[in-house]
Amino acid sequence: MKVLHKYLRIFILLFFTIFALTIIQAQSSSDLRINEILVINDSNYIDDFGQRNAWIEIFNTAYNNVNIAGMYLTDDPNNPQKYRIPKGDPITVIQPRNYLVFFADNHTTRGILHLNFDLSNSNYVGLFDVNGTTLIDEIRFPKLESDISYGRINDGAEQWTVLQKTTPKSNNFTGVMYNSGDEFVKIDPYGLGMTFVAMSVVFLSLILLYLVFKNTRRLYTLNLKRLFSKEMNMPENEGLHDISGEVNAAISMALYLYRNELHDHEETVLTIKKVARSYSPWSSKIYGLRTSHR
Amino acid sequence: MENSANYITFVTDHLYQFYSYTSFANFTFGHFIMICIGLFFIYLAISKEYEPLLLVPIGFGIIVGNIAFKPGFQVGIYETGSVFNYLYFGVLQGIYPPLIFLGIGAMTDFSALISNPKLMLIGAAAQLGIFGAYAIALLLGFSPAEAGSIGIIGGADGPTAIFLSSKLAPDLLGAIAISAYSYMALVPVIQPPVMRLLTTKKERLIRMKPPRAVSKTEKIMFPIIGLLLTAFIVPSALSLLGMLFFGNLLKESTVTKRLADTAKGPLIDIVTILIGLTVGASTQATTFLTVKSVGIFVIGAVSFIIATFGGVMFVKILNLFLKEGNKMNPLIGNAGVSAVPDSARVSQVVGLQYDKTNHLLMHAMGPNVAGVIGSAVAAGILLGFLS
Repeated sequence: MKVLHKYLRIFILLFFTIFALTIIQAQSSSDLRINEILVINDSNYIDDFGQRNAWIEIFNTAYNNVNIAGMYLTDDPNNPQKYRIPKGDPITVIQPRNYLVFFADNHTTRGILHLNFDLSNSNYVGLFDVNGTTLIDEIRFPKLESDISYGRINDGAEQWTVLQKTTPKSNNFTGVMYNSGDEFVKIDPYGLGMTFVAMSVVFLSLILLYLVFKNTRRLYTLNLKRLFSKEMNMPENEGLHDISGEVNAAISMALYLYRNELHDHEETVLTIKKVARSYSPWSSKIYGLRTSHR
Repeated sequence: MENSANYITFVTDHLYQFYSYTSFANFTFGHFIMICIGLFFIYLAISKEYEPLLLVPIGFGIIVGNIAFKPGFQVGIYETGSVFNYLYFGVLQGIYPPLIFLGIGAMTDFSALISNPKLMLIGAAAQLGIFGAYAIALLLGFSPAEAGSIGIIGGADGPTAIFLSSKLAPDLLGAIAISAYSYMALVPVIQPPVMRLLTTKKERLIRMKPPRAVSKTEKIMFPIIGLLLTAFIVPSALSLLGMLFFGNLLKESTVTKRLADTAKGPLIDIVTILIGLTVGASTQATTFLTVKSVGIFVIGAVSFIIATFGGVMFVKILNLFLKEGNKMNPLIGNAGVSAVPDSARVSQVVGLQYDKTNHLLMHAMGPNVAGVIGSAVAAGILLGFLS
């Protein structure tokens, strides 16, 4: 029975580990987004072969690497496994908050980034997970003019628009970017708002701690047996927890001194300690002495 | 004859080339000033015993960093591939400060705080120094990220200052770290005049209730609850708070004595050596001696004064609402900054000057350790707002 329980525990542990790993995998692939599409490429982004073709930009929204290998790209919602992105090539690993551009030129002989379809007869692009059925992201795009792309307003954002400036392998937002600090200082140039907000948060954190520990002692000293007992007025151990640190220190000191004094009068006590002598050839006398006399 | 002339020219050229590699050829007045500062730090540490564990490595690091050299030989701390550059990686990536916090957690006793949780609020009030310095830095024309990094000096917490400036303003890291540690060492000089100025003689004589005994369960619960409450509010400070409370749990659980001993002993010693030496070495005269650095030093001093003001005034205000007998001595207000245990020691020394039997040390340790938590939380807020 014990053995059965042991195996059961191992099985449950393994099950949850695999389940957790599956979730992590799913979270990684679900971080990918179709970010920008260009259909008619007359004077736009050129591939490694010097050709201009339609392209699809994939964006990794995560703060960790995501490998797109094994996933599927398609221009047909009824055929989600149209192009399987091959495994084993390092270029399929998309860096955190970075991009990968595929060329929809129907020329798979030009490398793994060249798809087996073009976008001339379709207004759909879909990205499916490695199982070929789980949809990661899809987009139906309007009819686009030459060298005009369709993309998300910001990288990974929900809203799509026709982009006047195409941005393959770069941020879709081409306006002036401010970090949160710059924006904060615009509305709070003297730092008063920051002082007020930040001090409030610091106080809030420590007030919460204060409130918890103000009442923890009561919880800790709560005598549940006594609380639910019919005999409500049991005077046992009353005031035991109110002994101050100073009193405890005085008691400890008295005990310490008492024991020290005891020791002074017991000089006949013999303490035998075993001295460990670990052997080492470096400390051996045999090697330290000359074998031949002079 | 011609051969010997060629030989002499060859030797002379190479001697000259060798000379161009030496420090004498590359030495500037800036290097001289920085080496003097390094020597001064070592003097303060050894002779005056001001934070010797920090000032000796930093002072020596300043000297090491200001040995002039010809660039390109992978010698300097800023040269990719040099030994010092590898060691400096832990500073730049914010690895060392959380490790130091682990050690601090393992050596800190939060009993004073648990026995009188009101003291936590003083640790919050003293963080005013951080945001006062932030406002002044903004006025002086520093960028928001730089101002945030400079402001954290007011927390009087070296590892936190290094952690935040490595994230927000790596260019100013050396100046900020040196400023923070210098003023931490000078806490016994900066704080007492402010404390005396803000308090009356009657207030300085207030006797506080002795702290109650704290149970083991409470001590174990503190790091767990402390982490949950603070890190949920400011997750950006997780690496500091997580390590601080983890170290404390190692200590208080009593079943991980070996781990706690390592964290508060060899580990924190190793990291202190590395952080001190590399931060000191990062103050190369060519990058350190700027007007900005001077500004940082001035703001640093002001931030300590504001922090002390915040702590002392908060206790005075709090006393207005407390009953007679429960009142707190405002001289523990200065300990709200997280220079542990120096600022608590200042409370004790100043308190004893007015009443030789009024020991404030244990009371001051409460706000002191609360200040460590408070400054980590403040760093998290600045990181969240300004990065």
